[in-house]
Amino acid sequence: MDLQTLLSFHWDTMMPEFIILISATVLSLIDLFIGRSFSRKFFGWASFIAVVAALVSLISLSDHGVTTILNNSYVFDSFSIVFKAILLIGTALVILMAISDKFENIEEVKSEYFYLLMTGLLGAMFMSSSGDLITLFIGLELLSISSYILVAIRKENSKSNEAAMKYIINGSIASAILLFGLSYIYGLTGSTDLAAVQQIVSTLSGTELSGLLGLSFLFIIVGFTFKIAAAPFHMWAPDVYQGASTPVAAFLSVVSKSAGFIIIIRVLLNIYAGAYSPDGQLPLLINMQNYIFTISAITIILGNAVALMQTNIKRMFAYSSVAHAGYILVPLAAVSPLLFENIWFYLLAYTVTNIGAFAVIQYVVSDENNENIEAFRGLYKRKRSMAIALLFFLISLAGIPGTVGFIAKLQIIASALANNPINITIVVIMILGTLVSYFYYFRVIAEMFFKGDRLELQPPKNEIPFNLIVVIGVCVAATIVLGLMPNLALDNFYKLFS
Amino acid sequence: MIHSAWLIPVLPLLSFLIVILFLRNKPKLGSLVANCFSLITFILATLVLVGRLQGDSLLREWNWLEVGSTTITLGFEINALNSLMLFIVSFVSFLVNVYSLEYMEGDDRKSIFFAYLGLFTFAMLALVISPNLLQTYIFWELVGLGSFLLIGFYFYKDSARAAAKKAFIMTRIGDVGLLIGILLLFTQVGSFEYDEIFAAVRNGELIGSVITASAILIFIGAVGKSGQFPLHTWLPDAMEGPTPVSALIHAATMVAAGVYLVAATYPLFEVSQIALTTVAVVGCFTAIFAASIGLFQKDIKRVLAYSTVSQLGFMMLALGTSGYVAGVFHLTTHAFFKALLFLAAGSVIHAVHTQDIEEMGGLNKRMKITSLVFLIGTLAISGFPLFSGFFSKEEILISAWTSGNEIMFFIALFTAFLTSLYMFRVYFLVFTGETSEASSHAKESGSAILVPMLILAVFAVFSGFINTHWFGTYLSDFLLEDAQITVKETHAPTWILYAATIVSLAGIFTSYLLFGKNKTKFGESSFSKSPVYSIVYNKYYIDEIYDAIVVKPTRLFAAGLKFIEWFCVGGIMKTISGCIQFVGWIGSRLQSGKIQTYGTIAVFIFALFILVYGVTNGGLLK
Repeated sequence: MDLQTLLSFHWDTMMPEFIILISATVLSLIDLFIGRSFSRKFFGWASFIAVVAALVSLISLSDHGVTTILNNSYVFDSFSIVFKAILLIGTALVILMAISDKFENIEEVKSEYFYLLMTGLLGAMFMSSSGDLITLFIGLELLSISSYILVAIRKENSKSNEAAMKYIINGSIASAILLFGLSYIYGLTGSTDLAAVQQIVSTLSGTELSGLLGLSFLFIIVGFTFKIAAAPFHMWAPDVYQGASTPVAAFLSVVSKSAGFIIIIRVLLNIYAGAYSPDGQLPLLINMQNYIFTISAITIILGNAVALMQTNIKRMFAYSSVAHAGYILVPLAAVSPLLFENIWFYLLAYTVTNIGAFAVIQYVVSDENNENIEAFRGLYKRKRSMAIALLFFLISLAGIPGTVGFIAKLQIIASALANNPINITIVVIMILGTLVSYFYYFRVIAEMFFKGDRLELQPPKNEIPFNLIVVIGVCVAATIVLGLMPNLALDNFYKLFS
Repeated sequence: MIHSAWLIPVLPLLSFLIVILFLRNKPKLGSLVANCFSLITFILATLVLVGRLQGDSLLREWNWLEVGSTTITLGFEINALNSLMLFIVSFVSFLVNVYSLEYMEGDDRKSIFFAYLGLFTFAMLALVISPNLLQTYIFWELVGLGSFLLIGFYFYKDSARAAAKKAFIMTRIGDVGLLIGILLLFTQVGSFEYDEIFAAVRNGELIGSVITASAILIFIGAVGKSGQFPLHTWLPDAMEGPTPVSALIHAATMVAAGVYLVAATYPLFEVSQIALTTVAVVGCFTAIFAASIGLFQKDIKRVLAYSTVSQLGFMMLALGTSGYVAGVFHLTTHAFFKALLFLAAGSVIHAVHTQDIEEMGGLNKRMKITSLVFLIGTLAISGFPLFSGFFSKEEILISAWTSGNEIMFFIALFTAFLTSLYMFRVYFLVFTGETSEASSHAKESGSAILVPMLILAVFAVFSGFINTHWFGTYLSDFLLEDAQITVKETHAPTWILYAATIVSLAGIFTSYLLFGKNKTKFGESSFSKSPVYSIVYNKYYIDEIYDAIVVKPTRLFAAGLKFIEWFCVGGIMKTISGCIQFVGWIGSRLQSGKIQTYGTIAVFIFALFILVYGVTNGGLLK
């Protein structure tokens, strides 16, 4: 490939990725060359600005048509824009949270914290733009490896080390399964380009090879359940969330999970859209519906039921995050025609509410030095603004009207039922799961508002840091505004897809 | 000014919000802020009344909801009737606010009291300017809420809590009737607007039975709020609230809302003789029934409460006998003199710390001004010539007579006699004669209490002159300008005037003989042992009857349902929650913390998938 071809690509569409890449590189170089005594406080804000700049450049690119770079290995389309927006918003909020994150014994935040968040983000962004199995897998591993280190970043803390170890081992098993599935695809088609793969796969129907196609589907989907923390690869989540610092847990539960869903949609819809079941009767996706259905149902039931038993707030949120992964799988299990927007809006809703909730948790847990739910006792009397903010996040997670979480759930349920009434089973499971979730979400609310003797309560030791105020303020505003006017977000979505 | 009349209810709402949100713990500032808002509200309401006197009515509406082809509007309306109501409500509310500055002094929750007053005033003012039944109903309920909060203000007393609950529940019974009436009209007319409903009635679009049914249903709502028989029992109990509240809500404003509602929907009643007769009979019976109970009560506030019930009965009687103006006129004068009487009673209770009139006596020496204004109020309510009650009560008697129903006329006349009898009983026992032990330490109240009473006293004396046959029927002309009702020319015989005067004076004289000169105390006399006394003193056992036929069976039914819930519903719930907890328990057992387990489970489930796939699709096993 000569220089001419290389320059002919629309490299400008990769602007957001370049911004992240360059700032991560520059920050790591600065970190290397400036002296030990030099304060690294500005790293947080610098990386925050970089992510916001990437978001701005992404928005300015939104009118750009579909572009591919290097034989489809990088695809720039509406799909990648809307989902990258969620990743960037989520990461920006997580970086803001991380600025005031303090570990035991160490006063100052480590600088690699920030550029690892950025490399993780870069991986996730590549996943959403990948049109080739190679870029896809590299993006995935870039995100995973960054996450492994982020979990282990509190290296004095044995819990953190243990969590990172579990995360790596589980992740490796999942990666192995996924890669095995991808190798089937390559074996069957001889190509890694998703568009080419789709072409060839649709000619396979009815041949004896089509059985292998379904098999590869199972390998790939099970491999991906690790990233989204759904059954059967969900068990790492509670241990890792508990061991990781709160912003990292928020990153894993929001950005990493979103990336997982993005890649699932990319792969499933690109590779298998034209494929048929081994007997050639049904489209493959319909034929495999029951497996996604089973994964979704187990995830919802298990996530919610086990969350009930938790006493540690971060473990409880881990199981809640598992349950939410189950809900987001429902449009896939229902093969709903509105699958894109349902999943996108749910991820957006989940991003703002869950990061907001984790921000409150970060403040309370570090102030009380206690990760148990009792740390929230009487919060309403001690720090009213925090209690009210968390109230909004919890009722949004529970899906109560007036909040964005309600709209997101409603859309999933409505389109699942509209598509095919037979989906009533999964919808009922989803609603029952939501009902169970009321118990553990409301337990925290009851703890904050109704418990605690006024006389025994201590006012918080620390003021709320400015950066957390920003995160929580943005998240509360988004939770309420999008709950009342979801079209603010959906209109932009439709504009890009029209 | 009239165009911005919507501001009038908004101001007390602001007052409520500001005080409850920011000044809860600052009683001084909170009560001052509430008073300022109340004064501005009153000034605006006066300007609106003046504007309406000089100009025309006004109706402003905005679309609120569109359901199919039906549009529901929100707005406000200023006509003769509601501009008068705006004035009365904001005026009494302002005076009560001033009065409470001193009366509630030292109460920890003084600010909250003023906030509640603001909430109530907001609801009441918004109620009277509502241009449609839906809006009326919304504020009708909010008024009930304000009343509930204020009656239960001393919530640490069991009796106050019980009274608040009772008031809420009893008026709710009436509200259900009102709601059904509103919905019935909506299904027939397709609109909540007063104007459209009246137009439909005028054009004969509604059949007679619908009009009668909806009018009676609306009247049931009025019966609840205005304390008419058989839903009157909550009003005497509502005296558990602070006395200024009794003056505002349970004398001048909320209880008059029922009368106002009937007056506002009068075009409906007018075309249905059955509905009118119902209103008249209920009003007439309530008037004498409550007057007879009032005669024997010992608690000063309860006497006033029963007299309120009785006077509201008079107003209903007037409306039921086509005396639209008479009813509204008596509502106006009653608002002034009854608020005055309550405030004066409050001043007395404040000084002697008892409510039992048989324990009081001789207060006219110690509380000269209170004694004077109470006398003025008593003269006004008794219909003493040239006092305000004289003119309005005469109008009612005329209306009862000209409607041709002589029995009701004579009952009303006798009730007028009873009224002056029992009201002067209170006056004589409390203020004249020997100074009793309870009264011996009494001191006159301060100026914040006295000034509002003096202002009200002026109105109690002179407000009657707005509508007399001698000087001019200003009120009548004003009200009939835009009331959509037909006016019947009536020629009242002059002897009614004399009869009313004689009855009033006879009542006062009898009262003087019994209670002024001889200080008859029912509680100590041999009469107290007679069955008649105990029946009337115990309010005809209405509460006990309700308890036996409604409350007890309901409780029994509830106990049965509770049993079912406990065993059936509870059993099912236990099973379900047990299952969920079991799943949770299994899940957390598996979550051993051992990475080997996690991997094994994941791979095991994955293998299961592969197996199922292989079996169902067969391709692998071939």
